Amino acid sequence: MDPKYDIIVIGGGHNGLVNAAYLARAGKKVLVLERRHVLGGAAVTEEVFPGFKFSVASYVVSLLRPELIRDLDLPRHGLEILPLDGTFTPMLDGNYLWRADDAAETRRQIARHSKLDAEAYTEYGKAMGDMGRFVKPILSMTPPDPSSLNLQGLRDLLFMGRRFRRLSAQDKYNQVQLMTMSAVDFLDGWFETDVLKATMAASGVIGTFQGVRSPGTAYVLLHHYMGEIDGAFRAWGLPRGGTGAISNAIADAAREAGAQIRTEAGIERILVQNGRATGVVLDNGDEISAHIVSSSVDPRLTFMKMVGREHLPDDFVDDIERYKFRGSSGKVNLALDGLPNFRALPGEGSHLRGAISISPSVEYMERAYDDAKYGQFSRRPYIDCVIPTLTDPSMAPPGKHVMSCFVQYAPYHLKDGNWDDQKDAFGDTVIDTLAEHAPNIRDLILHRQVLTPLDLERDFGLTEGNIFQGELSLEQLFFLRPVPGWADYRTPIGNLYMCGSATHPGGGIMGAPGLNAARKILNDTRKGGAR
Amino acid sequence: MSERVVIIGAGHNGLVAAAYLARAGLSPLVLERRDVVGGAAITDELHPGFRCSTLAHTAMNLETRIVGDLELEARGAVSIRPEVQIFAPNLDGPPVVLREDTSATSDGLRSLSTNDSAKYPKFLRSFRKIGAVLRPLLTMTPPDIDHPSTGSLWDMGMLGLRFRGLDKKDAFRLLRWGPMAVADLASEWFETELLRAVVEARGIYGTFAGPRSAGTSVGLLLQAAAGGSPIAPAVFVRGGMGALSDAIAQAARDGGAEIRTGVDVDAVRVEDGRAAGVVLASGEEIEARLVVSNADPRTTFLGLVDPADLDPDFLTRIGNYRCRGTAAKVNLALAGLPDFAGVDRSEAQSILSGRIHIGNSTDYLERAFDAAKYGGYSRHPYLDVTIPSLTDPSLAPEGSHVMSIYVQFAPFDLKDGEWDSMKEALGDAVIATLSDYAPGLRDLILHRQVLTPQDLERTYGLGGGHPLHGEPSLDQMMTFRPLLGCARYRTPVRGLYLCGAGTHPGGGVSGAPGLNAAREIVDDLRTDVV
Repeated sequence: MDPKYDIIVIGGGHNGLVNAAYLARAGKKVLVLERRHVLGGAAVTEEVFPGFKFSVASYVVSLLRPELIRDLDLPRHGLEILPLDGTFTPMLDGNYLWRADDAAETRRQIARHSKLDAEAYTEYGKAMGDMGRFVKPILSMTPPDPSSLNLQGLRDLLFMGRRFRRLSAQDKYNQVQLMTMSAVDFLDGWFETDVLKATMAASGVIGTFQGVRSPGTAYVLLHHYMGEIDGAFRAWGLPRGGTGAISNAIADAAREAGAQIRTEAGIERILVQNGRATGVVLDNGDEISAHIVSSSVDPRLTFMKMVGREHLPDDFVDDIERYKFRGSSGKVNLALDGLPNFRALPGEGSHLRGAISISPSVEYMERAYDDAKYGQFSRRPYIDCVIPTLTDPSMAPPGKHVMSCFVQYAPYHLKDGNWDDQKDAFGDTVIDTLAEHAPNIRDLILHRQVLTPLDLERDFGLTEGNIFQGELSLEQLFFLRPVPGWADYRTPIGNLYMCGSATHPGGGIMGAPGLNAARKILNDTRKGGAR
Repeated sequence: MSERVVIIGAGHNGLVAAAYLARAGLSPLVLERRDVVGGAAITDELHPGFRCSTLAHTAMNLETRIVGDLELEARGAVSIRPEVQIFAPNLDGPPVVLREDTSATSDGLRSLSTNDSAKYPKFLRSFRKIGAVLRPLLTMTPPDIDHPSTGSLWDMGMLGLRFRGLDKKDAFRLLRWGPMAVADLASEWFETELLRAVVEARGIYGTFAGPRSAGTSVGLLLQAAAGGSPIAPAVFVRGGMGALSDAIAQAARDGGAEIRTGVDVDAVRVEDGRAAGVVLASGEEIEARLVVSNADPRTTFLGLVDPADLDPDFLTRIGNYRCRGTAAKVNLALAGLPDFAGVDRSEAQSILSGRIHIGNSTDYLERAFDAAKYGGYSRHPYLDVTIPSLTDPSLAPEGSHVMSIYVQFAPFDLKDGEWDSMKEALGDAVIATLSDYAPGLRDLILHRQVLTPQDLERTYGLGGGHPLHGEPSLDQMMTFRPLLGCARYRTPVRGLYLCGAGTHPGGGVSGAPGLNAAREIVDDLRTDVV
């Protein structure tokens, strides 16, 4: 019997949807299966409390590929990205750092701390822009396999080598430092203001189980600058209607291209015959056949739960079991009766319209990490807050606000106790920390939703609560992501592909894994389909 | 113009460079500030009748080619390789004992974990294969990225071929392990905390990093490249490390080098953008065709060369070269051999004869690092202890012993206070830590010498107190050691060369930087580049 679909995409997260949209546009008959009742995976908007809508998990757009926005015509499908203006960092001594959306204002603000740093900041931005331009093409590349180089792989490596050689001496130096150094060590070479380094470095550790002084964290600093050079489309920002609006726009584009999308359709297992994927079995026992299965869920779920180790080579199973998740963050979503009033900069100014970063010093950040290293959540965590209602009032009833607090560190593996018991204490710690800076916050809270790493796993299918579907450490990047030898979106099972954040170039609302995987699948089918 | 080559510093690398330059027919002049040669590889009398390797205390990484070329054994540098490489005592369980004999080690590990016992030989085998691929790197000059010479293209090509010779599994291991945290690597192989900690210790040795810091596995790869085993074995030199330096110095002199001690170089004199000689603290000037610095890069460029002769960007970059030490040393003269928990008197002589590892878990090592991160020394430091008099009785009066204790973490920059006033407190913390495992130790101490990072800089000239002349991190390695564009032993100042541990392949008593630098210098002289 002929399979019902060309391709089944497992998971309706943003990458699964991107994957489906591109495949459908290429004329394939595509079915997307999502376990939850809503689409989007971690990029989802839900009305958690009556009248209050939240970007429940992922809360900002980061580096959504401009070609994707163009190809899928996302603005026509309702995507609108609003500016997220600057970063405000309150400090405990009453001072603050505010990097506004306006370059001159930012310079003035940084100069309050250090004139040298204010000058260096402009230079730094330029250098990072150059670096970003160098790295950008790598995002949309299928990683070569260095252990058995074929012609294409050699070409790719040569391409990278030549680009690297063309960089100026200073840029080469920066590039290598970015790839290997810790965020703080790297920033030490540029700036002297502690709070500036702490806040910039914080963006390098989001979602990882690393501290700001851990080598390898400098690289993420680049991401912020890659966004700016994407030009026409705003790569960092708040989608109107929350991050779920991105997913819905992509889903709309996919449907328009002919893809079918089903929610509340969890996968029990992937059907494998003679080493090839032939379809899936749903939770309710239904079987659906397809030529190709493309999984956007993480490798542990895909292979250990849905495929089963009996179908896989032992070495591959070892590698998958070694793949590191170890989630390190949680989320607290607050419904507020009004706006928080920060001691360091009172009032309802535009400093509240951007990110509010609780990262007052490098030592604060590092101590937050130390707690997690030994198996407890940070007694004083790093918090990245956003109040989307200031730019998008539709998210809450008039006069009310929603505040999204990304909290790090919250290790999935606790040394003592379990997350269900510690959930409230974790929420309290977050509120206590915020209240040190904005004491009125306690009185404003109408509702609070606390998501521990365990909740992220249970609710969103993010194994061990890792928001990127696996640690973004050097040994799990590029041709090593998710595991050595299988970084080209293929798997040891014929006709089974991976298209989620656990593949190159990794997590964040970027869409690149879904897009790259679609290209790979189309290439393979063009070459004669069955592998 | 003078034809002379002047080498600043008679550390072991400076001496190796001198010996090889002498072999090439040059007559190098080595200038050493202290009264003894050897730099960090020296033997001092610690207490009347007690002699000890003052700083570095093991020589497992010495490049074998150098030993042969310079006939070091005939010149008195005889190595001692105890059967027990590492002994790691355990307060609540059997100790970890790593021996020269792999199957005996494996048998011993069975009491800790049958898994670990089975995996240990595989662990060694995998690293031995990868180490063999990396080995040629150590004596290779890092390639110039912009203008690779035919020679370095050939070298890299050969390396590429060797890499392809690895099976897929080991090839990927090599690529994965480089940037990995050593704690992750250790836990992929072993389940016993103590064994993990022993493995991890090699990755963090001498670095400002904890076992959970990314990139620390590279220490194991380099160790495997140097000696085959990722966990450094114990290799001593009869008469202490000074005997090794003396032998290299003798080889240099025999080849025609001149070595002057007690000569403090104040500056490198630069004329028309090229090194023309050195100025001594005494005011004396010595002309030279080339100047080779065995001092660390920061000391060389920020202390010896006039900033006016260097590009401001280069100065900024060298200013950011990370070279802040976290190591200290405590040396003891002991009235007898201390008893260690879990060690039977009858076997103490052999069990304690290698390196003794103190630091019983990943968390222990990580916490020791945490202290340094915040600018304090660790109250429960990681210790690498040796009792060299067990295998070399000439070092202490009969029945007595010397104990050499390498201590980490003790940061060069203290947040509160000065090292001079914390010195004895550091010594006390070390003795207290060790006493947990060797309870009677205190009563045996006849004399105690404590060397803080401050002493390492002041007395031994290690800039920033860094025993490795700079962090051995991924961004300061190979083509990037000390900096991109000056990793081929040449510097922005024509005629000025580097030959110390701040160049590839880095620190440890290997002699490889000196060997490589000498080769490049001879090459430049032959092609008349300088």
